[in-house]
Amino acid sequence: MSLIVAENLAKSYGRVVAVDGLSLTLDEGSVTGLIGPNGAGKTTTIKMILGLLKPDKGVVKVFGQNPWDNPAIRSMIGVVYEKAFFPAHQKTLEYLQRVCRIFGVSESRAMEVLELVNLQEASDRQIKALSAGMLQKFAIAHALVHSPKLIVADEMTANLDPQARSELLDVVLQLNRDEKAAFLLSSHILPELSRVCDSVAIINRGKVWAFGKLSELYEKYAVGIIRVSTDSSYALEAEIRKLKYVKGLESDIRGISVRVVEGKEDELYEDVPKLAKKIKAKILGIETGSASMQELYRLAIGAKERK
Amino acid sequence: MGKGKPFLEVLASAIHEDFRFPFLELFAFFYALGTFALASFTAILSAQITTNEAVAYSVTNSLISGSLIVFFILILKNVAYGLGSDLEKGIIQTYFSYPLRRRGILTAKLISAIGVSLLLFLGIQISALYILAPDIVLPQFGTVILTYVANLSYPLLIAALMLLMTLKLRRGGIGLVVGIVLYVAMNIASGIAFFVAVATESPLAFQILSVISPTYALQYHYGGLSGVSGVFSVPWVPTLSETLLYTGASYVIVASLFVLGYIYFSRRLNL
Repeated sequence: MSLIVAENLAKSYGRVVAVDGLSLTLDEGSVTGLIGPNGAGKTTTIKMILGLLKPDKGVVKVFGQNPWDNPAIRSMIGVVYEKAFFPAHQKTLEYLQRVCRIFGVSESRAMEVLELVNLQEASDRQIKALSAGMLQKFAIAHALVHSPKLIVADEMTANLDPQARSELLDVVLQLNRDEKAAFLLSSHILPELSRVCDSVAIINRGKVWAFGKLSELYEKYAVGIIRVSTDSSYALEAEIRKLKYVKGLESDIRGISVRVVEGKEDELYEDVPKLAKKIKAKILGIETGSASMQELYRLAIGAKERK
Repeated sequence: MGKGKPFLEVLASAIHEDFRFPFLELFAFFYALGTFALASFTAILSAQITTNEAVAYSVTNSLISGSLIVFFILILKNVAYGLGSDLEKGIIQTYFSYPLRRRGILTAKLISAIGVSLLLFLGIQISALYILAPDIVLPQFGTVILTYVANLSYPLLIAALMLLMTLKLRRGGIGLVVGIVLYVAMNIASGIAFFVAVATESPLAFQILSVISPTYALQYHYGGLSGVSGVFSVPWVPTLSETLLYTGASYVIVASLFVLGYIYFSRRLNL
């Protein structure tokens, strides 16, 4: 069953087109990442899905219903906004207990969710006294109070330190595994999404440029990737770039990812050692690799741009 | 899950924010100060008031005059600043994640912003009336109620306009400035209306003003009853029915503006 069905959504702010004919579905129990550059239309899409914005065109259904002013579906959705704001002068635990009463769940759940995000020590603190990272954790706890079937999060891990990010992603995986909660996660931090997402929607200029299971997208956009590890990345990269059958190339601390014309992988395996010998670089490893989420994102955007 | 629970919790949360320490205590003090210490009975003592209704009106009016400004400041704070900053910061957005209709959220915010302020105002006022003038006021309860209803019309009109501006612009500061300007403008307009009425020997200007602030119609109705008149007086003594009509008309305008606010909040407000 599809929890979210968005068809041909469009939204403009004056002359600025934020979303233009966007279609998307999110299935029960899935973890879908929404990735795209700044201004791509991610937040506008999320707001239309949550019923905060009315689409100019198109239809969005959440749990089969129109999300605009629909209290019935809100009991099944947990929301984490990019910038979280709560009544500032209330204490964290007290406010979450209030939220428990709103959703009709036991007040003991308030402490449970605070513990889940490691915020139990701030249970007696006023919300206004929380740091940006703590406020973000609090927003996540707030979204989990009623054990929603769907969690929509816009830049959920913003403001969090690496350890907290990692712990939070574990929580996402755990909720997805144990409670079959579905997630729609928008993030700029692509490695995080690759850790938890099974599907990805790449949004650019208000449209979905690529959407599907991660494995399908890798198959479609990231074939012909070969990873070369070397002690002299920059010099070797320059040499490899000169090869005519190389379509794209990226370097990071792990080495060089080379994308070649389909069928030319073997030639690269032969050419790379020769080039390394020429510049006296040492090859530490060469293997057919899978693209990182970052590479996938660039490949998908690049493929679409070329069209 | 009970249907009323989310509404009550959002209301409690809004009241917690609007009346956090020391606002409730401070405004209760100012209300008491305005009611008990700043009430002006000079006009009543010096006037040749001839009817019981006029006496009840004058006593009630003199009590209201000292603390109506406090009520006005409180709704300025809560509607323009409170609701405005909730919209601006995203707290309304957070409330929208709860299983409650949009109109329920606005009602909770308005009850907190205006309803609680009104209860505080009326609670202290009625206690004061009961303590200070039970013999005059209790037999003329209808007059007392009418005086309150007429006096509250204009602040509520300003509150409704501030609500619309705050919702449209999502900037509490602008609503706040507009509210203050409107409050001052009414005092200036009544001064101008007085000169126009005296110069033209026509009450038209006051009749127009009475549609948005029926306290003028009430003032001239009881002024006529009491026989109070100065060297320059407005040639207008509206009947009680006319006064009620002006009061009704003013509340139709207030109610219409609030309904507009509700429609906008429920159907149009994009966050």
